[in-house]
Amino acid sequence: MIVTVTLNPAVDEEFLVPEFRPGGWFRSKNAIRTPGGKGINVSMMLAQLGYESAAMGFLAGFNGAYIRDVLRKDRITTNFIHVKGETRTNVYIVDESGHIETGLSEPGPYISEEAYNRFLRNYQRMLQRTRLLILGGSLPPGIPQDIYGELIRMAKEYNIPTIVDAAGLPLQSALEAGPTIAKIDHRFMSRISGISLTSLDNIIEVVSKLHDQGVEWATTSYHIYGDVFFTPKGIYLALAERRSVVSLFAAADALITGLIVGGEEGMDVEDRIRFAMACAWEDSMHVEKGFSSRKAIEALMPRVQLERFD
Amino acid sequence: MRIGDLMDRDLTSVTENTPLKEAIEMLSQHNLTGLPVVDEMGFLVGFISEKDIIKASLPSYCEYLEGATFIPDFDQFSEKLRKKVMEPVGKYMTRKVIYFSEDDSDLHAALSLIQQGLKMAPVVREDGVFVGMVSRAHLIEHIMCDEDE
Repeated sequence: MIVTVTLNPAVDEEFLVPEFRPGGWFRSKNAIRTPGGKGINVSMMLAQLGYESAAMGFLAGFNGAYIRDVLRKDRITTNFIHVKGETRTNVYIVDESGHIETGLSEPGPYISEEAYNRFLRNYQRMLQRTRLLILGGSLPPGIPQDIYGELIRMAKEYNIPTIVDAAGLPLQSALEAGPTIAKIDHRFMSRISGISLTSLDNIIEVVSKLHDQGVEWATTSYHIYGDVFFTPKGIYLALAERRSVVSLFAAADALITGLIVGGEEGMDVEDRIRFAMACAWEDSMHVEKGFSSRKAIEALMPRVQLERFD
Repeated sequence: MRIGDLMDRDLTSVTENTPLKEAIEMLSQHNLTGLPVVDEMGFLVGFISEKDIIKASLPSYCEYLEGATFIPDFDQFSEKLRKKVMEPVGKYMTRKVIYFSEDDSDLHAALSLIQQGLKMAPVVREDGVFVGMVSRAHLIEHIMCDEDE
């Protein structure tokens, strides 16, 4: 079973506004409410592509009940720990005219030591039936910053491949444990390496070191519409087209989904990258999270520019 | 329709070693009336319901009198419950569990739930691993959806 872990889920609220500016009062033409958080997004996108998965983490209050209900309707297996408080709400404002996105995020509910230990026991049990694990997103208050490293080490005891998409200290602890695939937040890498990662050479220099820590695949964004992929078969730069992009919200989760599906379907390295990029690109072509169809993704694959560095 | 296609794929469960306190909190937080009990591998080994917990906390004379109508107040009940909250679920769970497999039909599940007077029952995979729950509400909702179509 593919298992996604979202320790700090959210209800994502997206508002479309013609000309957004701070200090104004706006009536949104359209508001979209969906369950969110990296792992949950991946579970929902996998379901759209016909792949079953189980989602776990913490849920609280009315928002938590809403997330659980939507996931159940999408036939996603759920295994959450319910805690006191309220699952956070993330607000995104998409300015239709300027193509600018503004986000506002809450911290999430406090996780007590008791709830955290309950989660770890649950996680340990889930590992018995897990064949691929995806960890991602921010941490709610109360959760230790090195949790991703710990969860990856536990999964490795069962030889379960792991994918991580995080930032800050949780990412650092994950990288130390050596995940199979890591989506690297390049601003964080830039800060800890002390090197500006605006140039391709610098990105390659810094991220290449991750291979030494056992990370098989690593990917990091390059400018806005590109990604650099560090694979066992070489380093690739993949670029999508800028035009037709409406919202980059959840595009990184679509990219992870594409990498998972590419791996599940035994695609070779280049097709897997193209498919992952096409997933991210297709997701960004509309405000709604997820994909119009698999056909729409596949139609974009040949348009992904791919360059290999030797 | 297969039960596997209409069940609630929620894996909320406890183990035999889970303290009753934790099971009670989970029943309340998840708004459930019962929880499947699984082993470390996820195999179904029992079921703990509100009824099992209440039964364990009633004064022992209630069993002989076949009812709780003689209880003068909550004191004896709450005192006994407080003493038991750290005891393991395994001591009070039902071991002979009515369950369904994913391939069982909706009709078979509906008839079994009615005959056994159950509101819900666990669903297991072919090898006995717990994979979800089916309830009377799911079955009714499923029948209503078919009507709408």
